[in-house]
Amino acid sequence: MIGNDIVDLAVAEVESNWRRKGYLDKIFTMKEQLLISKACNPEIMVWMLWSRKEACYKIFNRQTHIRIFNPIQFECSEMVLEHTWFSGTVQFKEIVYHTKTEIKKEAVYTVAVENESDFLKIRELGKSELVLKKDSIPYVYDSELDVLKPASVSHHGRFTRIISI
Amino acid sequence: MCDFKKIRIMKNTEEIIEQLKKIVKPYVKDQDAFDHLTETTDFINDLKINSANLVDIILDVEEIFDIVIDNESMERMLDVKSTLLIIETKLAEK
Repeated sequence: MIGNDIVDLAVAEVESNWRRKGYLDKIFTMKEQLLISKACNPEIMVWMLWSRKEACYKIFNRQTHIRIFNPIQFECSEMVLEHTWFSGTVQFKEIVYHTKTEIKKEAVYTVAVENESDFLKIRELGKSELVLKKDSIPYVYDSELDVLKPASVSHHGRFTRIISI
Repeated sequence: MCDFKKIRIMKNTEEIIEQLKKIVKPYVKDQDAFDHLTETTDFINDLKINSANLVDIILDVEEIFDIVIDNESMERMLDVKSTLLIIETKLAEK
């Protein structure tokens, strides 16, 4: 299963004041707040952690059909730089998700999977792709195989990314 | 004896909705849905509020109503109805 999330850094800067009193405590664990405080660029670290939580929540939502706002319960590990992305894990209760996060063109972008091997199966789709929703869960239609394939859509500010598996 | 203090603190649902509307207004991306706001209005699906701004709404609710929203309550604050219920419950506990 897959999930993705993009943050337009310019929009985030204008619309979200993460330095506001109490803000970080509501969504980040103590461990995560430590990662933010020791980061060279705390602002980017905030949105990297946030996009990882959101991407993993999308997997959770797809699998359970439960809607919930509990970002603090999706705890992010430290990230490791691999090639052009940062890889890490996110734990929600007993489930461990794998994430790949990249920073480019003023955006922070994360792709999350439950099975690490699924990273290889992910296809990036164009903005024009027809995304269908069943029970608020996104799918794309594969006309060759005549099946609906799981998809994840993320839109923020100037950016939209659609993936499918 | 009648508890006047309590009566003054307790707000009716309409008053709470009015205050809640003022709180969410700056974060709303769908003005039409906001103009037709009802108890079933969903913050993300209907008002198109960014999830990072849900945190602001929760912090604003805490400040304005002088209540503490614990994680368990926060989980359910995705629509007007659940938010109202949480605010009313927390106000009653005061």
